[in-house]
Amino acid sequence: MDPLILGLLAAVVLIMLLLSGMPVAFALGFTAIFFLIIDDGIGAFDVVADTLFASLDEFALLSIPMFLLMGSAIAASRAGSDLYEALDRWLYRIPGGLLISNIGACGVFAALTGSSPATCAAIGKMGIPEMRKRGYPASLATGAIAAGGTLGILIPPSITMIVYGIATETSIGRLFMAGVLPGAMLMLLFMSWSWFYAYKNGYHFVERNKHYSLRDKFIVLPKILPFLLLIVLVLWALYGGVATPSEASGVGAFISIILVMIIYRVWQPSVLWEIVRSATRESVMLMMIIGMAGLFSYMMSSLYITQGIAEWIAAMDVNKWQLLIYINIFLLVAGLFLPPVAVILMTSPTLVPIITQAGFDPIWFGVMLTLNMEIGLITPPVGLNLYVINSIVKDVELKTVLWGALPFMLCLVFGIFLLTMFPAIATWLPDYLMGPVN
Amino acid sequence: MNALIRFISGLSRLLGILAALLLIAGVLVVVQMVFLRYALSESTSWQTEFVTYALIASTFLGAPYVLLTRGHVNVELVPLMLGPKSRFVLALFAYSTSALLCFILTYYSYLFWYEAWSAGWTSDTVWGPKLWKIYLSMPVGFFVISLQYLVDLLCLVTGRELPFHIADVNEEAA
Repeated sequence: MDPLILGLLAAVVLIMLLLSGMPVAFALGFTAIFFLIIDDGIGAFDVVADTLFASLDEFALLSIPMFLLMGSAIAASRAGSDLYEALDRWLYRIPGGLLISNIGACGVFAALTGSSPATCAAIGKMGIPEMRKRGYPASLATGAIAAGGTLGILIPPSITMIVYGIATETSIGRLFMAGVLPGAMLMLLFMSWSWFYAYKNGYHFVERNKHYSLRDKFIVLPKILPFLLLIVLVLWALYGGVATPSEASGVGAFISIILVMIIYRVWQPSVLWEIVRSATRESVMLMMIIGMAGLFSYMMSSLYITQGIAEWIAAMDVNKWQLLIYINIFLLVAGLFLPPVAVILMTSPTLVPIITQAGFDPIWFGVMLTLNMEIGLITPPVGLNLYVINSIVKDVELKTVLWGALPFMLCLVFGIFLLTMFPAIATWLPDYLMGPVN
Repeated sequence: MNALIRFISGLSRLLGILAALLLIAGVLVVVQMVFLRYALSESTSWQTEFVTYALIASTFLGAPYVLLTRGHVNVELVPLMLGPKSRFVLALFAYSTSALLCFILTYYSYLFWYEAWSAGWTSDTVWGPKLWKIYLSMPVGFFVISLQYLVDLLCLVTGRELPFHIADVNEEAA
């Protein structure tokens, strides 16, 4: 059968299984095996276990569970609320200051965890009730945190960047570095929108009767400094070429547990166990998706679907900007239904050669892809962040969160536009620090 | 029947604990490796491989526990749109398809394990551990997750649990 038709069929089967409510990992696995058998008969079964194992047998992948553990340790402490409290004391005079503090805290927290849902949960638990108490509408408060949380997969360490690096054989360190400025840019875009909205609606009056002295401002710093140092340390280890991502993440996880134990006196076995338990759950879920997506990619390439799509796109004879627009739309749609990790593993082996052929930079494309995935995180039906927020603040309807997140989603689209116009936003920093790619 | 459900859930929990311990072991070994390599400038041999295998095993062994605690991400769009009856049918389909996949994977990962065991495969590194020990996590994990799915199906059919665990808010209104 024509590989393209097979590919189309595989997509249809996968979407149907996904919509049936099956776990994403198993829908991927089932589709993969199903089409392998169609192509190769019962003999295809022989390679399944081997392939599944091989897709996880990669040293760099294990930085994912480690970074998740690091995030879950910090999330279990009061670090998140301390963080935004500290920012608030410095920024409270600005219109929408609390909102801006919360987004800033999301950004910093993203740098600590590499995971979007973890960022949302940690900052949102404290930030959303506080914002609502001070008179911010529920939609704005929840939307800002949902959007701020998406920074988790852009600002290093980022789990999706690790997966992209492995799938496309690009440098994970370089990818991490490439996420820094776009992350800052998005944070500024989110903050500007919040400021504008708060200013227009007069929310700054709510904050005016508060006053923090310089002493108040400095007294909160010691609590968050160790975590900021940890971020710097992990990044330094990665970019100084001192350690691999896996080493940095392992040590980072270890140190963050120690820090949480010392600073926040979290030493009760039950709490410590909960930290490990939640990290294990999330890691198993993600790694299972990664393994099954590996099987899916194997099926795609052994049925020549990957190659077929690449040839088909090459034959379309569109200019590179049209190509980029199509790819963006495709990624957006895929991101609506699948978790970022799955999208990256399934599409990047096909897309990256095409993109590189068209003259785009694969590191830059990694950032672009991540921005697309961020939109998927705050849009239904999968929109993980929306559900996280919904589970934290149960009295706010999902619809309200959605509306609140919408302007931030437009910020993301604008971010994609800026990144396309000025690719240096992503590539300048890694090139400057690590030298240009040969 | 309740005893059976409890037994299988207990089994999933036990493997979940094992998965968590493997994660802890992984972290500790990485820390030890970094210490050896950077503080004492010694070379390391088995650590990289050990940690990789520990986390792979953690993934397969932890999967049943994640199913038990509803941690596998899925798309709930359609199940949420449907009425209770069609949702039940859809859940029946989704659970049994997943169960089928897990049974298939159990069998074929068992064959894979058996091959490694009977031929005495070792990994081609200096450390060279016996591979069957690591591969064992696959059939064990998939077998228990298959059982866990059977329990879920059982609970679904006997009405012990709601399809997709979605509580129907509109039921009272209707």
